[in-house]
Amino acid sequence: MGAAPQTSPDQRVAEFRDVFKRAEQEVSRVIVGHQEVIRKLLTALFCGGHILIEGVPGLGKTLMCKTAADTLGLSFKRIQFTPDLMPSDIIGTQVLTEHDGRREFQFKPGPIFAHMVLGDEVNRATPKTQSAVLEAMEERQVTVFGVTYKLDPPYIVLATQNPIELEGTYPLPEAQMDRFLFKVIMNPPRPEELREILNRTTGTEVRKPEPIFDPKLAPQAIESLKALVREVMVAEPLERYIIGIVSACTPNTPGAIPEVSQYLRFGPSPRGAQALMLCSKVNALLEGRVSVGYEDIDDAIVPCLRHRLLRNFQAEAENVTTESILEQVRKRLKRPRA
Amino acid sequence: MPNPVEILGRAARRIAQVAAARTFAYAILPAVVATALAFSLHPLAHLTWERWGYVLGGGAERTLFDGLLAVAGLMLAGGFTFAAAAYLRARDLVAVAERVDEAVGGRQQILTLATLADPSAPDSAKRRRSPLFPVLWNSAAAFLESFDPRRAFPLDLGRSITRSSVLASAIALGTILAAIGLIRTPTPLQAQASRLRELAAEIESTSSGPGDLAMAEMAREAADALEDPKLTPEEKKQRIEEVMRQMASHSEERQGGGKEKGKGAGGGSAQNGKGSGSGQGQSEGKSNGSGNGSAKNGEGKGASRNDKGRQGDDKRIELQNELSKAEAQIETEGASNQNPNSQPGGEKDRGEAPEGGKTPEEKAQGSQPSPRQPGSIPTQSAQGNRNVPQSGTGRQPGKDQGSNLGDTHLGEFPTPAQAQRYLKPGEKGGSLDIHDARYVMFRLPSATPVGSGGTTVIDPHRTKATTPYVNAPLKETSSDAPPDERQLVPPRYRDLIH
Repeated sequence: MGAAPQTSPDQRVAEFRDVFKRAEQEVSRVIVGHQEVIRKLLTALFCGGHILIEGVPGLGKTLMCKTAADTLGLSFKRIQFTPDLMPSDIIGTQVLTEHDGRREFQFKPGPIFAHMVLGDEVNRATPKTQSAVLEAMEERQVTVFGVTYKLDPPYIVLATQNPIELEGTYPLPEAQMDRFLFKVIMNPPRPEELREILNRTTGTEVRKPEPIFDPKLAPQAIESLKALVREVMVAEPLERYIIGIVSACTPNTPGAIPEVSQYLRFGPSPRGAQALMLCSKVNALLEGRVSVGYEDIDDAIVPCLRHRLLRNFQAEAENVTTESILEQVRKRLKRPRA
Repeated sequence: MPNPVEILGRAARRIAQVAAARTFAYAILPAVVATALAFSLHPLAHLTWERWGYVLGGGAERTLFDGLLAVAGLMLAGGFTFAAAAYLRARDLVAVAERVDEAVGGRQQILTLATLADPSAPDSAKRRRSPLFPVLWNSAAAFLESFDPRRAFPLDLGRSITRSSVLASAIALGTILAAIGLIRTPTPLQAQASRLRELAAEIESTSSGPGDLAMAEMAREAADALEDPKLTPEEKKQRIEEVMRQMASHSEERQGGGKEKGKGAGGGSAQNGKGSGSGQGQSEGKSNGSGNGSAKNGEGKGASRNDKGRQGDDKRIELQNELSKAEAQIETEGASNQNPNSQPGGEKDRGEAPEGGKTPEEKAQGSQPSPRQPGSIPTQSAQGNRNVPQSGTGRQPGKDQGSNLGDTHLGEFPTPAQAQRYLKPGEKGGSLDIHDARYVMFRLPSATPVGSGGTTVIDPHRTKATTPYVNAPLKETSSDAPPDERQLVPPRYRDLIH
C-alpha cells in the first residue's frame, strides 16, 4: 500500500484509520497485551514525536519497537545505553579510509541513523551521551566535525527506562524528558497475557508481522499520513481548553488548581500543549473525525503531560503521583463555553 | 444534503426565541401579581375598612397603586430588555453550534464547523480551514440532516415562571407590609368621604336616570373635596355647600316633575312644597357661654311627599344627610385646627353650636318632609344655656345633625355639645327618625328652667303601687370625710356633672 496524495480527503482519512488499525493488529500479533502502549507508539510516530517507555526488563519493549518498524516498513536500530557509551557510538564518527591511494575521512553513521531507534535503558548512559541522542531527537540532524547530517524522516526515538536498579544511572533531566511526546508505562502482563506469551514464545510457531508498506515507499506514505494529522481542525474553544489544562498544571499561576500549587514545582512547557494538540488530532482521526473533540484531548492528557510535571518534596513524601494530579486537573477543569 | 450553516442559523433563531421567551417569562408573573395587587388594592382597602375599621388613605392607596403599577411596568420593561439582550446573545452562531453539538452528539464537529464557517467571523477564521474542511462539512450535514430545532429546543416556560414566583412572592409580601404600614385609623373626614363614595356607588347601582348619575358624581366630588389635603376647611366647606346647592337645584327639578305626577295620581293628597321656601338656622356660640339658635323654616311649607318609598329619593336624602354631616365635621375640624390645644369638644368652649336650620332639608325647602313645626324643638347652643330649651330652632329630632354625633367609628365617642335634643316638659314629640346613628346621646334637663313656661303636670294615669311599702332610709350621701382619691373631672364632663 502506498500513499496517494491525489486522493480525496475522505479517502485519506479512511486510509489513515486503516493503516493505523492494521499496524495495531500486526504488532498485536507478536506482542501480547500492551494495547495502549502500541497505540501510543504509533500515535507518536504519526505525530512526529518520540516516546519514552518505562518498564522493567523483559516486557517486550524491544520486540514491540522492532515489530512496529517491520510492520510499517521502516528501518530499525537498537542502542543499548551503558555508562561507557560515547556519543560517537550513537551518532557515528569519521573513519580514515583509503580510496585510490587517497586517504580521507569518511563519515560512518551511527545507529541513530534509522527511522526507528530504540534507546534501551537510556538512563544508564552519561548525560553527555544522552544529550547527543536528545539533540538528534529535537533537531532531526546530527553534526559531526562540522558537517551536518540530516536524519531521514520519519524519525522516531523510543527510549526505555528501567524504574528499578537506579544505582549508577543518570536519570534524564526534566529538560530532556520534555522532548518526549509521550511517556508510557509498561506494566507486567496479566496472568492470561502471560500464558499467551508463553504459548507464543516457547513453541515452534514464529509469528512475524505482515508489512503494511513497501519499505521503499513507507517513509513517504508515513509522512503523508503525518501531514494528514496536522490538517485536522481544532475549534477555538477546544484550543482554549488545551491552554486551560496546561495553565492548570502550572503551579502558582492564576489558572492552577490547588493540588498543582501544593505538589508541583514546575508545570508543562509549551511542548506539552503541542503534544496534547497533536495527540488529540490523531485520536480524532482514529474516530473518523477531522476535528478534535473534548474526549480526544482528555484521552491525551496523562501520557502527554505526566513526564512534564516536576513534583516537589511534599508530593514525593506523600507519594502523590503526577497521574493523580492530572486526573484532578481533568476533573476540575470546566470545558469552556463558546 | 442540507446546508449546516443554514440549519445552524435556524437553530440560532430558535434558541434566541426560546432564550428571549424564557427571560421574559421571569418578568411575567411578578408583573401580573403587581398589577393584580394594584387593582385589588381598592377593594382590599374597602374590605379592611368594612371589616376592621382601618383605612388605607386615598394618598397611600394611590401611592401603593402607582408603586405597584410602576413595579409591574419596570418588570415588564426589564424583562423586555433582558429578553432582547438574551435574544441577541443567543444568536451567536458558535455558541449555538456548541448547543447543537450537545444535542446531536457531534463531538464538537458542529462547533468546529461553525468556527470555520461562521459568516460573521473574520477572514482569519476562514483561512484556518484545512483541506479536510469538506469532510467536516459533510459530516456536520449528516448530523444535522434530521435535526429539528423546534424539537431539540422546546419552549418550556415552566421553570422560568416557577423561579420568578419567588420574586412575585416578594412583591406580594412587600405590598402587604407596605399596606400594613400605611393603614391608619380613619379621620372623621375620611370616614365621611368613604361613606359618601359608598352612597355614590349605591346611587349609581340603583340609578334611574342621568339625574342619579349626576348626583353620584356630586357625592364623589364632595368626597374628593373632603379628602383633599390641599384644601382648607373653608374651601372644603364651600365645596360641600356648592354640591349641596347643586343637589338642591337638582331636587327642585325633580320635584317639579313629581308634582305633576302627584296631582294626577294622588288627587292632591300630596302637598308638594313650592320649592321657594328658605330655611335658615343660626347658631351663635359666644365665649361667654350664651348662645341661641334659631331656625326659620320659611313658611314651614315643607313638602310632604307621597313617593317616599322610592329608593332613589331615599338615597338622595341619605346623601344630603351625609353631606350635612360632612359639613359639620369640617366645621369641627376647622375649629380644632384653629385651637389645636383644645381638647375634644373644645368647640363648646367657644360657645359654638351646630347651625340649626342649615340642614339640607331646610336649605332645600319643600324637598324634605318636615314633621316638626317650626320652633318646636329647642336646641342647646352654648354652655350657659345648654339646658334651656330654646324655641325657634330648626333642628329636627329625627335627624343626626352632628358630624360625629352618632356615627362614629372606633372609640370616637360623641361630644355632648351637639347632641342635646329634648322636649319641653309635657311636650309630646314626634317619633324619632334617626338614620345611621350608632350612638345617640340624650340628656334631660336637671331642672325646669326658670321662665321656660313649663308647668308641673300630674299624671292621673300613672302606675300606682298596690302593695303598701315603706321607703327605707337612705344612707347618708354626704360626708365630711375627704374622699379616698381625687380625680379631676374631664373637661368634657365638667358642665354635665355638678
